Amino acid sequence: MASLGGSSSSSTEYIVRVPKNTSKKYSIMAFNSGDKVNCSSWTQARMERDMSNRRMYGVEETEEGAAGSEFGKKQREEARRKKFGIVTREFKVEDQPWILKVNGKAGKRFKGTKKGGITENASYYIFTQCPDGAFEAFPVNGWYNFVPQAKHRTLTAEEAEEEWGRRNKVVNHFSIMLQRRLREQERGPDDDDEEGEKGGKKKKKKGGRGGDLRIHDLEDDLELSSDESDSSGGEDGDSKPKKKEGDVKGKVKKKKKKKRGSDSEANEDSDDGDFEGLEVDYMSDESSSEEEVGEEKAKSNKEAVPKGIDEASESEEESEEEKQNEEEGKEEEEEEEGKKTPVQTKKKRDSSGESDTSEDSDIDGEAASALFMKKRTPPKRGGGRGSGGSSRTGSRPGTPSIDSASTSNTLRAAASKLEQGKRQVVGGSSESPAAKRLKMESSSTAVTTQSPAPSGKSTPQPPSGKSTPSSSDVQLTEEAVRRYLIRKPMTTKDLLKKFQTKRTGLSSEQTVNVLAQILKRLNPERKNVNDKMHFYLTE
Amino acid sequence: MSEKGEVDLTGAKQNTGVWLVKVPKYLSQQWAKASGRGEVGKLRIGKNQGKAEVEFTLNEDLTMIDSLGDKPSGVQAPRDHPFTMQTVGGQTLAVFTETQSGKEQISLEGLVVQRAECRPAVSENYMKLKRLQIEELSKPVRLSQQLEKAVTTNYKPVANHSYNLEYDRKKKEEGKRARVDKQQVLDMLFSAFEKHQYYNIKDLVDITKQPVSYLKEILRDIGIYNVKGTHKNTWELKPEYRHYQGGEEEEEKETND
Repeated sequence: MASLGGSSSSSTEYIVRVPKNTSKKYSIMAFNSGDKVNCSSWTQARMERDMSNRRMYGVEETEEGAAGSEFGKKQREEARRKKFGIVTREFKVEDQPWILKVNGKAGKRFKGTKKGGITENASYYIFTQCPDGAFEAFPVNGWYNFVPQAKHRTLTAEEAEEEWGRRNKVVNHFSIMLQRRLREQERGPDDDDEEGEKGGKKKKKKGGRGGDLRIHDLEDDLELSSDESDSSGGEDGDSKPKKKEGDVKGKVKKKKKKKRGSDSEANEDSDDGDFEGLEVDYMSDESSSEEEVGEEKAKSNKEAVPKGIDEASESEEESEEEKQNEEEGKEEEEEEEGKKTPVQTKKKRDSSGESDTSEDSDIDGEAASALFMKKRTPPKRGGGRGSGGSSRTGSRPGTPSIDSASTSNTLRAAASKLEQGKRQVVGGSSESPAAKRLKMESSSTAVTTQSPAPSGKSTPQPPSGKSTPSSSDVQLTEEAVRRYLIRKPMTTKDLLKKFQTKRTGLSSEQTVNVLAQILKRLNPERKNVNDKMHFYLTE
Repeated sequence: MSEKGEVDLTGAKQNTGVWLVKVPKYLSQQWAKASGRGEVGKLRIGKNQGKAEVEFTLNEDLTMIDSLGDKPSGVQAPRDHPFTMQTVGGQTLAVFTETQSGKEQISLEGLVVQRAECRPAVSENYMKLKRLQIEELSKPVRLSQQLEKAVTTNYKPVANHSYNLEYDRKKKEEGKRARVDKQQVLDMLFSAFEKHQYYNIKDLVDITKQPVSYLKEILRDIGIYNVKGTHKNTWELKPEYRHYQGGEEEEEKETND
């Protein structure tokens, strides 16, 4: 090493050697700058060739020797290939990609593909400095670009295209991968044992996503696409935290079903006041139908069905448990209110469920479940539609009747009553235990505090039919009947409608009885209008 | 031999820094001619007013360019090669080696800290070298050449003479294939069917060297002729003679004499 001194420059000379012994082959391992790979942080690494491209000659064909083989098959096959000009590339081990595993099983994985053509026009050398100061240059044999391998599940190209087409409809994107897992489960139960478990776990946490898809599909028809795009836009950010909350919520209420969070999540997902008008709704007594659905839920296996029921079941669960535990219900409501949308969407579902609750409650057994499910899902959608549509299109009256689906708990029922004026709900809903009325009364205060919020949100909801001021407690009292009859003549049917069983907490029979008594006492005047017997009072 | 296994990470841990240098083809060819310890030249690293200057000087004895073709090139490789230094950028480039002999070990030699390009200093020599290269490259791969005399050596015979002879010889040798004992034929057949399940009649004739009709008769006894769906029509042993799990045993095959 000679040092030359210069005037303004100093330089040192080093000898460059190109060693002749070629026992080691040098290659470049190139990482992407975005991956931020720090080699010094690796504790251990394993690297081997990726042999997956090796086509074993004869593996695809019949086995050699003994049964199933033909004499001279190999040669014949080869002759055939030659005749048709099929040229199989030779499998060169040196050209195969590398698989690099860093830090063991749990660490990162990289795949290194050989970059071609680096030795065509110029050669790369690695200059290393030796202890004696000289440089040694080694030629680079190959250049491999290493990319990290995704450990998470990804969609194939076809699936990805499918989902892309549905991106405006799907609110909850987590469902996409979950569904894929479920699909795989069905296809290969042996292979997918693990995945099944994972899927099961995830199901517990996330609930049936498919249900979301179902609902939202219909919403498209309503031209609520803007909503969904908003919601889907907003959901991504929201869904994660909300999902967790949903999980927590679900866990708090002992879930019967594995699938839980999704619906609540879905609800939460649709944020941004998109569902302002959706509160609405038929907050009928959902518990009965929910209970039944709950049973069926337990048994339903198929994708379509469980997913269809999921939301129903979830809301059922919620309502059931709320019934049981009022405070929890309050909490839930408050939580949801805090997020606005959950309540609204729940109410949406409730409304969908309202009209059919009576029918639902009458349906028993699994046999009916399928029918029930089907009824539920479309009506639910209809309900969603209705609630969404009502606030916007004012087409409310029609929708409730379609709805079946989830029935809300008394709390929600009360809340919805507060918001809406009259609803055309079949009064004969089965359940109205006295306890319910009690709860309703006691919780009405809680509800009232919450009601301003939803009602504030509910945009002009066209009063359905007769306009009555929304009264918090509608009691079947003489006073109330008198008031109605003074105002205008009504038929018994009208009167019954006024005192919905959901509001008064009485069963249909009780309502009829009490109403009859009251009428006897009042002794209103009768008048025949349109061939119908109307009662009225003059004061 | 498949390479697998632990990567020796000493280079990475020590953060050994290396340079990745792009070197022109002709220079690497000259380097390959180095003798002895492999000394090829000198690298001068200097700091000239703040900027690092790196230059490689090729050894005198390595400047002779060999050229393809008959005449000596008379061209000398340029000696001075300044290096253009470049940064690695955000990219992480690691260098790993594999040992080929015997035990195959992959080890990480180090990380690239500096990239450089070795450029020849422009000089007469370099221009001549370039011209030489271009000339060689511009030669067409395929060449049309006019012949003075017509080619007369490749006429085709009516029948291939050697083939003809071979054919005649074969005929003479085999002629009518002699029928041997049925038992022998059966033995041959059974041993053949041990190896493969399906046989073409032609292949069987080839194996047993029996006349076709005789062979067919025997086959009709012990085997079946199936169309099989896969287009070839092949012969296989009758089920009662078959025993295809693992080895076949001769005793299990009964022959009716």
